[in-house]
Amino acid sequence: MNDSLLAADTGGVGGVNPPVTESFVVTLTIPCAAEYVGTARLTILGVASRMGFSYDQVEDIRLAVGEACTNAIARAEESEAKSAATITISSHIEPTQLVVEIEDTVGDSGGSTDADLDRTTGEEVNPAELGALLMEILVDEVAVQIKPTGTHVRLTKYAMNATG
Amino acid sequence: MESAASMNLKVTSMVVSAGVVALELDGEVDVYTAPLLRQEIVDQVEKGTRFLLVHLEKVEYLDSTGLGILIGGVKRLKEQNGAMKLIGPSPRISRIFDITGLNRIFDVYATQAEALATMGA
Repeated sequence: MNDSLLAADTGGVGGVNPPVTESFVVTLTIPCAAEYVGTARLTILGVASRMGFSYDQVEDIRLAVGEACTNAIARAEESEAKSAATITISSHIEPTQLVVEIEDTVGDSGGSTDADLDRTTGEEVNPAELGALLMEILVDEVAVQIKPTGTHVRLTKYAMNATG
Repeated sequence: MESAASMNLKVTSMVVSAGVVALELDGEVDVYTAPLLRQEIVDQVEKGTRFLLVHLEKVEYLDSTGLGILIGGVKRLKEQNGAMKLIGPSPRISRIFDITGLNRIFDVYATQAEALATMGA
């Protein structure tokens, strides 16, 4: 059976979840380190699955959040603040949308020379550019704010956009 | 002893024929595990492998870091007059190739037999 149809018929990937009628916030703070990005993805998978998103939409959100975390981790790798840096993922569950805010504490005082989500690995394609492209495509709205103390990414996925 | 990253991604290599190696990936390819894949590709190229058949059937998650590693592999093998063939990605992974436009860079096949057929093997 088509996963999207299944989700639409039964109120989301979970199938038994009631519609979201109130707003809630789920917050997770992780060390800004590669081994914890899976924890962030697992959390957002649980959050998004409770809403009326299709399987594909839940996977889109999971990948977009993973990309935001990955970018923070890559910048932390180049920063003097690597060991102390954290990422806070705040999922705002609302009846009509899911807003995920990913805020890191990787400032621009470290080794990074470009705070514009830039990272290079010696490959032909910059993974940061791919990551930014994926975020733009996978969710409905992306807003990035770069501050001296870290970067704030806001991802919005509309719950009513069942086909997007 | 296995590293923690290798618990999230297992990379298994198998020689198919002279200069042709199949790599089976099992798990998640992300910022944590991608270095394992990068090292395996580098090792294979240094050993003289010219054609890598990268099996993606068991890949559950692939992010921009993994995509970057695969692109780097394509480049390295091309420099050796070789090629990388991607085998059996799930619809989810194929969609990532499509939306990023990387389907124009990667040679993707449903089966290893199909990939080998294009090499005249």
